[in-house]
Amino acid sequence: MTTLNQMRAVHGDKVYKPRPGWHAGLPLVPVFIFLALFFFFPVIQLLSLSVQTKGELSGIHYLRLVESDVYVRSLLITLKVAFYTTLICVVAAYPLAYMLATASGQTRNSLILWVLMPFWTSFLVRTFAWLVLLGRHGPLNKYLIELGLLSEPLEFFNMLGTMIGMVHALMPLAVMTMLSVMETIDANLPKAAATLGARGGQAFWRIYFPLSLPGLAAGGLLVFITALGFFITPTILGGGRIMMIAQLIIEQVEQLLNWGFAGAIALLLLLTALVVFYLYDRLLGMSTLSGSGAADRSGAGLGSNPIGKAGVWIGGIFINAIGWVCDRFGELVEVVRPIRPDRPRKTMSRTVMWITGITILVFLSAPSFFVVPVSFTGGGFLEWPPQGFSTRWYDLVFESATWRAAGIRSFSVGVISALLAMAISVPAAFVLTRQRLKGRTLYMSLLLSPLIIPRILIAVALFYSYAYADRFLQIGLIGSSLGLVLGHAMLAVPYVVVTVMAVLKNYDYRLDQAAWSLGANKARTLWHITFPLIRAGLLAAFLFAFVTSFDELTIALFVSGGLATTLPKQMWDDALLKVSPGLAAASTLILIFVTSMIFLAEFLRRKAAKS
Amino acid sequence: MRIKSAVSRRSILKGAGVGAAAVAFPTVLVPRKTRAAVQITVRDPGGPFEKAFGEGLYKPFNEKYKGQCEVIGVAGKHEPTAQVKAMVDTKTYTWDAALLSMSAHDALPGYLEPLELKGTAYDELRAEYKTPTFSGNDVYCAVIGYRTDKVKKAPKSWADLWNVKDFPGRRSLRKYPFDTIEEALMADGVPTNKVYPCDFDRAFKSLDKIKKDVAVWWDQGAQASQMLKTNEVDMLPCWNGRIQAVIDDGAPVAMEWNQNIAGVEGWCILKGTPKAEWCRKFIAFAAEGKTQAGWVEHLTYGPTNPNAFKFIKPERARLVGTFPEYQTQALLIDNGFWGKEKDKAIDQFNAWMLKG
Repeated sequence: MTTLNQMRAVHGDKVYKPRPGWHAGLPLVPVFIFLALFFFFPVIQLLSLSVQTKGELSGIHYLRLVESDVYVRSLLITLKVAFYTTLICVVAAYPLAYMLATASGQTRNSLILWVLMPFWTSFLVRTFAWLVLLGRHGPLNKYLIELGLLSEPLEFFNMLGTMIGMVHALMPLAVMTMLSVMETIDANLPKAAATLGARGGQAFWRIYFPLSLPGLAAGGLLVFITALGFFITPTILGGGRIMMIAQLIIEQVEQLLNWGFAGAIALLLLLTALVVFYLYDRLLGMSTLSGSGAADRSGAGLGSNPIGKAGVWIGGIFINAIGWVCDRFGELVEVVRPIRPDRPRKTMSRTVMWITGITILVFLSAPSFFVVPVSFTGGGFLEWPPQGFSTRWYDLVFESATWRAAGIRSFSVGVISALLAMAISVPAAFVLTRQRLKGRTLYMSLLLSPLIIPRILIAVALFYSYAYADRFLQIGLIGSSLGLVLGHAMLAVPYVVVTVMAVLKNYDYRLDQAAWSLGANKARTLWHITFPLIRAGLLAAFLFAFVTSFDELTIALFVSGGLATTLPKQMWDDALLKVSPGLAAASTLILIFVTSMIFLAEFLRRKAAKS
Repeated sequence: MRIKSAVSRRSILKGAGVGAAAVAFPTVLVPRKTRAAVQITVRDPGGPFEKAFGEGLYKPFNEKYKGQCEVIGVAGKHEPTAQVKAMVDTKTYTWDAALLSMSAHDALPGYLEPLELKGTAYDELRAEYKTPTFSGNDVYCAVIGYRTDKVKKAPKSWADLWNVKDFPGRRSLRKYPFDTIEEALMADGVPTNKVYPCDFDRAFKSLDKIKKDVAVWWDQGAQASQMLKTNEVDMLPCWNGRIQAVIDDGAPVAMEWNQNIAGVEGWCILKGTPKAEWCRKFIAFAAEGKTQAGWVEHLTYGPTNPNAFKFIKPERARLVGTFPEYQTQALLIDNGFWGKEKDKAIDQFNAWMLKG
């Protein structure tokens, strides 16, 4: 990722930091041991099937990849979908994150709840909610026609629907990552720029924007890689015409039992993703966009690679151009409406930002608000408008011991796996940000790979290693919550690493040094200085890890064999014939529960702060 | 610095404590039932099957063998071939037996235990519904579902579904070669007894004719019933049980059984499970006509034992695919053919879908 270089750039570690010894990489050891046990070893074993046929070395599976153009074309479609999803997410999330970061504490906290809405609605319910909302006779088309904006219903189930579904699902990831970085930006810096004569636009683009870049880069990376693995949402909302590569892999694993070929496709995906990651790292990792003080100080790193150079060059032009446009625009506005000391300065940009931000918030929370009334329908389907009023779907969920057990298990597995993922990944993020380790890009690639390998392959691989572990060590990972916790923690590692690295990038290392010089030891510094300062990032990381587990279906289905029921699995079972409003009822209950938990936590925090 | 996020570090720690307690909770609080000597775990598709099999199959079996054996149904992944293979490979019998589709069964040679059920109700099943490792349990049929309020003239055959001019309306097809290839061939005039072995070239030519008129390609069964219910499309092929779910909800929807494509699901025993003997007793019990009639009350899939119809109410019998009248119009899926051609079909179908 981008982070180490930025660290180096901002703080010039050559000046005061000794070169790391062999022990500098030690904090990476736990996470790599963990991944080795539960990811690398099992998955490599499974992928090695791709170079075999009937036990002998052979390249037949790879030949098949190129014999038909299906796989390459599907890969290109997948990349295209992931790219556009990322682009839209990042562009739309930025103003929203900025709005949240500059809002007052109280407003921000209530608005964050809205951003998080998509997280608490199961992917299944979310997708079907969009299926109804965007339908030919769905509310959106109906209102657009009534308003006279359309004469014929708009066809959503193509690339458009896919984008809506995917952006909706992944935008919270981008917003939260950006927000946690923006929270670390000193609000006085743009003001300082303004006192030196920069107009609003200039101050923003030359000061604030470069400082917020790590969040943008990290958010974009997480969205992109997560999007590569999506298949149910794009398939359903794309009207079946968007063929994601993950689905081809699933077909090979489940329908055809051709794990060798599945492995070959997965490796193709992995390699492509790593190439994209490498280019991305070179481009954004080295550049901080010229014009900012940080870039000037980093000096040496920039010339070292041509892609990075190009990135800096393009970034510089971009910033200068935008700065110039903002300046001219500002001058123009001042001509029309000169600044006078007797009236306040017009803050039109804030109005625009708030309108944009609120629109995006409505988009993010719309399906959740659709789900609530729909759960009270008297009918048997998700529908708009709901038929009559009834609480029968709630009765169904409440009365069922399976739903209760699934809810309890999902929450506890989510919390514990998130804590485990934090415990092993946060130290790794610190090392990767602060130490000039050799092979950093390699470490990063390895840490990201659990997100890129399709879940179904991870699930199969995990089953085999769990089964052997159970046999030889007598532990019982199959069908148990422990097995789920370990698997989910592994999936969460990339989210935690990237998010924490992003907040550490702007972190002023000298604060730690100040604490040490005042006599605090390293642990105390970490606990009293570093952690509180990057708290927003830690919370976002925890949240991502929790949601990863909370919405995870494949491993839960495969490794548990149906014995340990989680909420996504229970929903999946229930949706065999149709997606019933019972799922909407369950989603509503989860939404209420999570929201009240957050309120409670906030209340306790404030109480603690007062006393 | 102004970091005020909604959750504090302390509250997370508190949450963790609650969570840790909660993981232990279900096992602590739920009193263990007095367990039978042997327990067998069988995989079913879950959802509506949970209730239907729970009432109509597991409960009577458990009553019959009270104290000796208890069967527990767990919901597994759809088409759980990979899971069965993994369990047998590692001898980790999370499941002892599983309800598998015939095509899943065919994909697992060497992974299933011989049933050896001669002399039981297994003998009463139609020959097409069983193999030495597969005892057919229920038949599901791909039929044409359509909106009676939107379709002026009801489609009576696959050719009608393909005929956009005389049968106007929005259509959806399944985004998968199974069923869709057969439908395309029958739409092109191939009689049911000549569908297998499928002529792929002819099938794709037939599909070419309708491609531009397919509004949506559905992928998940639940998606198909949802689209029929909200009238996203006016007609589509789907399995009878799912269309029945829409009809039962009061939507103006009907289905056409002519040229239905019938597939069968049946019980299989995982190779090497130590509880194979009890699984055999269970499967023999499941094959009995009376047992099958029990779950047909809750689920509209067809019983494989013709004797089941002696116990099923006449109006209910008309809703299931093995109703004699429907059976004569049916095309039974040839799994032997698909077993050999599955790879090729999927590759060709995906390539055809991508071809703009």
